[in-house]
Formats: sequence, structure tokens, C-alpha cells
Amino acid sequence: MRTAEATARKNTPAPPSKVRTTIWLIVSAAIVLWALWQVDARWERVGQIVTEAPRYFGLMSQGLLQNPIAEPWSAYWSKSIALMIESLQMAWIGTLIGAIISFPIAFLAASNVAPRPVVLVVRQVLNIIRAIPEIVFALVFMIPIFGLGPLAGALALGIGSVGTLGKLSSEAIEGIDLGPMEALDAAGASKIQLLRWAVVPQVLPEIVAFWLYRFEINIRAGAILGIVGAGGIGSILGQLFNGREWGRIGITLVVIIVVTVIVDQISAAVRQRIISGPGRSTSKADIPEPVVD
Amino acid sequence: MTAPAVRTVSQSDRPVKPPPSIGAILGLVAFLAITVYSAIGIEFTLTPLFTDAMRGREIVARYFDPAWSILTRPAVIDAFLETLYIAILATLVGSILALLLAMLASKVSAPTIAVYRVTKLVLSVVRSLPDVAYGLLFVAFVQTGALPGILALIVFNIGIVAKLTSESIDAVDRGPIEAVEAAGGSRFQRGRFAVMPQVAPNYLSYCFYVFELNIRASAVLGIVGAGGIGEIIDLLVSRLQHEELAAVVFALFAVVFVLDQSSRAIRRRLT
Repeated sequence: MRTAEATARKNTPAPPSKVRTTIWLIVSAAIVLWALWQVDARWERVGQIVTEAPRYFGLMSQGLLQNPIAEPWSAYWSKSIALMIESLQMAWIGTLIGAIISFPIAFLAASNVAPRPVVLVVRQVLNIIRAIPEIVFALVFMIPIFGLGPLAGALALGIGSVGTLGKLSSEAIEGIDLGPMEALDAAGASKIQLLRWAVVPQVLPEIVAFWLYRFEINIRAGAILGIVGAGGIGSILGQLFNGREWGRIGITLVVIIVVTVIVDQISAAVRQRIISGPGRSTSKADIPEPVVD
Repeated sequence: MTAPAVRTVSQSDRPVKPPPSIGAILGLVAFLAITVYSAIGIEFTLTPLFTDAMRGREIVARYFDPAWSILTRPAVIDAFLETLYIAILATLVGSILALLLAMLASKVSAPTIAVYRVTKLVLSVVRSLPDVAYGLLFVAFVQTGALPGILALIVFNIGIVAKLTSESIDAVDRGPIEAVEAAGGSRFQRGRFAVMPQVAPNYLSYCFYVFELNIRASAVLGIVGAGGIGEIIDLLVSRLQHEELAAVVFALFAVVFVLDQSSRAIRRRLT
């Protein structure tokens, strides 16, 4: 007499094959082991973190705990804040330049608006821009033409922003409802009128949200461009680390963190409002959050 | 003819266009004010584009005549490989740690609300510092080389992957979680059998995404002494060897592009 258990066992379907997963795992593990074996990282120094990090964090917090109104600490605080504001200004102008340039380009990269060959070419251009870090734009193109300073940084951020904004905006344009376009077409509107009255109203909130999202990314990028001399708070970061002035490093990092978090919050609130309209909406809008492009 | 005259649509029949809201006006004013303030602050001008274009054009022209021979030098090849190793190891370690933190940073899987709040706060602080700042810190802690680069990118990756994954966890279907709880599963089993299968494709796709970022980032990290191809780029910039620099930048771009395309293909298959 067969037990119920045996019947159950016989009736369960066989689990799916795990061969492919296993092969993937083995390949990934091999790549990782190869990297571990090849890389000259001198792992014995990892232990130093345990000893050094607390010491340096102690030195940093000493700088933070100094009376911020007394000299010379007040000067350090105000210099950090002034330079962080410069970073924010770079991020703002950079985002604005990126928005102005990417807006028309986005239409050329959207397959439901532009002809196929144009779309393919424009998309490749956007991919190329996205593959290059802003700091390289600053080094290679902007500093030679505009000299050192925040202007070169802002323009590097501007060109760098075109890649992301163009891609995201064109995807938004591709996702529109085609009804209004048909209606205008039937009414005999020109191509420009079609874009102005059928496409732009649908995608504008989403695209403005992308601009703000990119602004949040540009704040982070603008905080480091100074390392190569393109303005903002990065310019003193490099110097301070070279001079090992830990007290001032602590102050500068805290200024970067606090300002970035605050501006992020404001920007996120504005984005939320743009996407889901005024009023308290509990639903999370389906828009990207600032990571890094 | 006694047909009724067609009523012409007069202006008064049309609804009046609503006046712009106070919020919109304030927003526009704030936008213009910030823009003018920023433009003055960074001394915005485009004149160098026309006046100094010659000076810039000479340099930019040199970039379009790359000295490809530099790419065959062992030091440069090693630097490119080092960049790749840094990205692989940092992505692996960072992603594993990020998965644990992501579980704590979502209301669905966090043990208590307090843990969830604290984790979220910590993650947003971690994300607020750029990768280069971590590079500078770790170079100070463990000296220059590949190690600070790996460590800096691990921290940087945790910030990104944990945030994105925790948002995916927020959106999971609660059914399987209830089922596991009803069957008496532990907290770990709940995460392993109810949450993980649902977010795995997204999580893996985020891991590939940060891998691309890491290749790009390590080009920059070398400038502060954290290993990889950035050290070569920094050296060539300081020696003003523009032709060699151009070759390295083009090669870096080619590497990023190839990895970008292949990882995008993998990501498409995952989700």
C-alpha cells in the first residue's frame, strides 16, 4: 500500500535544470579568482584601516569640535561653505546647459518622432558622451579653452549632462500616448505644431524631473572637478589631503555631506511635486532617484 | 431661405484661460534668480570660445592626432588591467554587502522601523560623498595603489546598489512573504525564499550597472593615487603629452563602450 507521501513525491514536478546557473557561477568565480590573483593590491595593508581610520576620524572630529566662531576655524568653515556654493553654482549652470542642449536632441533620438537613420546616429552620439567621465571633458576640452576655474567645470558638467538627459528624455518621448498626435494630424497641424501641442505637454513634467535628477548628480560631480582645477570645493580637497590637514578635511567633508543631503531633499520634493502634482501624495512616483550616471 | 443662421463662435463662448498659479510664478522667479546668481558666481561667459578658440584649438587638434604607440607599453597595459581588476573586485564585494544593507533599508524586510530609518540615513550620507572623496580618504589610510581604489569603490557601490535594491524590495509582492510566515519560516528564510527570488533580476542588473560605473570611476580615481589607468592619465596631463593622452582616453572610451554594450545586453536578458 502506497503512502500519501510517496504519491506526493511522485506527483511533484522535477525541479528545473540548474546547469546554466552553475556554469554562470563557475565562470564568474573564475573571473573573480583570476582578478584576485593578478591584482597587486598588497592586501596586508587592509589591517591598517582598523588602526588608521579611527585615528584620522579622531583628528577630523577635533577640527569639527573647534569653536567655529574663533579664528582660524571660522575662516575654514566659511571658505568650505563658499566653495561648496561654487560647486552648487557649477552644478546648476551645467544642468541648465545640459537641459537646453538635450531638449531638441531628445526629439531627434526618439523613434516615434525622428526618422530611423537620424535616431541611430544621435543615439550613438549620446552613448559616446555617456561613456566619458566629466573630469576627462574638463581636462581635455574645457580647461584648454576656458582656462582653470568654475566656468570650465560648469561647461564640462553641461556637456556630460547632455548624454543622460538626451537618453532619458527620448525614452519619455517614445512612451507617449499617440492619441493627441493623431488628433492634431487630422486637424492638419504642421510637424512643429504637432510636437508643440501633442508631445511637449505630455513629456514636459517627466523631462523637468530628469533635469532635477541630473542636477543632483551634478552636485556630486561638481564637488570633485576641482581636483583637476575646474572650480568648486574639490580644489581645496586635494590640497588638504596632500597637506594632511585633518581638522580642515573633517570640516570640508561635513560641509559637502550636509549641503548635498539638504539640496537632494529639496530637489526630490520638487520632483515629486512636478510628477504627481501639488498636495500630499503617498504614492511613490516612478522616477529615477539620484545615484550616479 | 429660413434656415437658421449658423451661430459664430464668439470669444465669449470660449472658456477663459486660467491665470498662472502663484506657485508657478514663484517657481519661475526663484529659477531665474538662482540662474543669474550662479552665472555671476562662476563668471559665466562664452567669449573664450571665440577669442581663445585658437589656443584651445591647437590643443584640441593635438588630441585628434593620437600617439597610439603608447598603448603597447607594458606599464599602460598593466594599468588598464589593474582598472579592470579593481572594478571586478569592488563590484563583487560592494554588491554582496549592499544586499545585506538593502534588506535592512526596506520596510518590507527590516526587523524594526528604527533599523530601517537608521540604515536609510546612513546610506544617504554614504551616497552624498563622491567617489574621489573616498579615494582621497583611503589613500590616506592605506597609501597609494590598487587597494585604496578597491576600498573606495566598495563604499561607493554599497551606496548605490543598496539604495536601488531596497527600492525594488519595497515593491515586491507580499503574498510569498505571508506564505513563508504562515509556514513558520524564520526571518532569514523569509528573505531567502520570499524576497530574494523577486528582486534577484533587478539586483543583478544593478550590479552590472555599478560595474560600468566603476570602470569609468577608476579612470578618475587614479588622479588621486588610487591605482588604475587614472594614474597614467594624470601623469600624461602633468607632462603635457597630449597625443599620448588622447590615445589613452580613446582606448579607455573603447573599453568602457564595449563593456557598456555587453553588460547592457546581459541586463536586458535579466529583466
